[in-house]
Amino acid sequence: MKLELICHTPDVETLIATAILTTTSGAQPSTLYKRLKNNPEEARTAVGRLELQHGSILEHNRFTWTLEATEGEVLRIILENRFFTFTPIGENKWLVSANLRTILEYSEKMKDGFGAALVDSVREFAPSLKAFRGRRE
Amino acid sequence: MRVELLGHTPVDPLKGVSKGGLTDNDLLPHAAYTFAIEGISRACSHQLVRHRMASYSQQSQRYTTGKRLSERAVTPNSIGDECETFKGLVDASGEAYGKLVESGVPKEDARFVLPNAAPTSLLMTMDGGSLNHFFGLRCCERAQWEIKDLADEMLLKVIAAAPGLFKETGPYCCQLGYCPEGRFTCSRINEVQERYRGLLEEN
Repeated sequence: MKLELICHTPDVETLIATAILTTTSGAQPSTLYKRLKNNPEEARTAVGRLELQHGSILEHNRFTWTLEATEGEVLRIILENRFFTFTPIGENKWLVSANLRTILEYSEKMKDGFGAALVDSVREFAPSLKAFRGRRE
Repeated sequence: MRVELLGHTPVDPLKGVSKGGLTDNDLLPHAAYTFAIEGISRACSHQLVRHRMASYSQQSQRYTTGKRLSERAVTPNSIGDECETFKGLVDASGEAYGKLVESGVPKEDARFVLPNAAPTSLLMTMDGGSLNHFFGLRCCERAQWEIKDLADEMLLKVIAAAPGLFKETGPYCCQLGYCPEGRFTCSRINEVQERYRGLLEEN
């Protein structure tokens, strides 16, 4: 399988940190977003504290790739996690998209080449996440 | 109510990959839109979260304070700011909440006395396909006024951010060309279609 990242939501860590603080702070989410965008260290700290159990916080983004894979390989992925979105764009070629929660839950459970390729392609956009730091160590 | 589009997936790279082989509707599920939605009522957020193909991070009443409810409560126009029955209940509810918290009741329990008019804010992410469905239902004349106002605001934000991509959106009568509401139809399909066509052209 060959995976290539095409595009993604910008400012992924800022949005994760905004989601974290929105739930527990009295401040408005747009105010939090602007504050965190101007203060990346605060965003990194908030994201660094996040445990994977609070997965909904990781859903405010989307990554889209092209994937070369057989129909059988795609079926296996979809059966494992229904939150991937696939669109065929050619013979054994697909547009596939998912959010960080789906990526992490799939890769943690399956520990296969597809999961590893997903994580490698997005790690740089949320480097403060414990799940990614753990993989490097 | 205040709505801001904080971020969205760029769609042009997807168009490049599909080389024209996919329609805009094919691409919509691969693009996500994240909104900051502020100052809506709890009644409105209850309706919003019925749209399950979306992600929500909402201010928790376990952590945030319900104080100053009288100033912040959402009041429907049909009731109005001068309605003593409504105002009296909101004031009493806010007062009861304050007393419970001061007496040591945890916020997570004190909030049981707060009304549907209590304000809330949240972060919401929806993909383009789900957004079209949301607009189809909630921009409709039959939708409740607050969520319709919200849907109209969100629609303006996405058509400004992704011009052309949502060119056939709006209530279902605009998307489908006919009203799917059957005997509940507002019977003003031409007027509604014209209004949303105008909105899409302006933006």
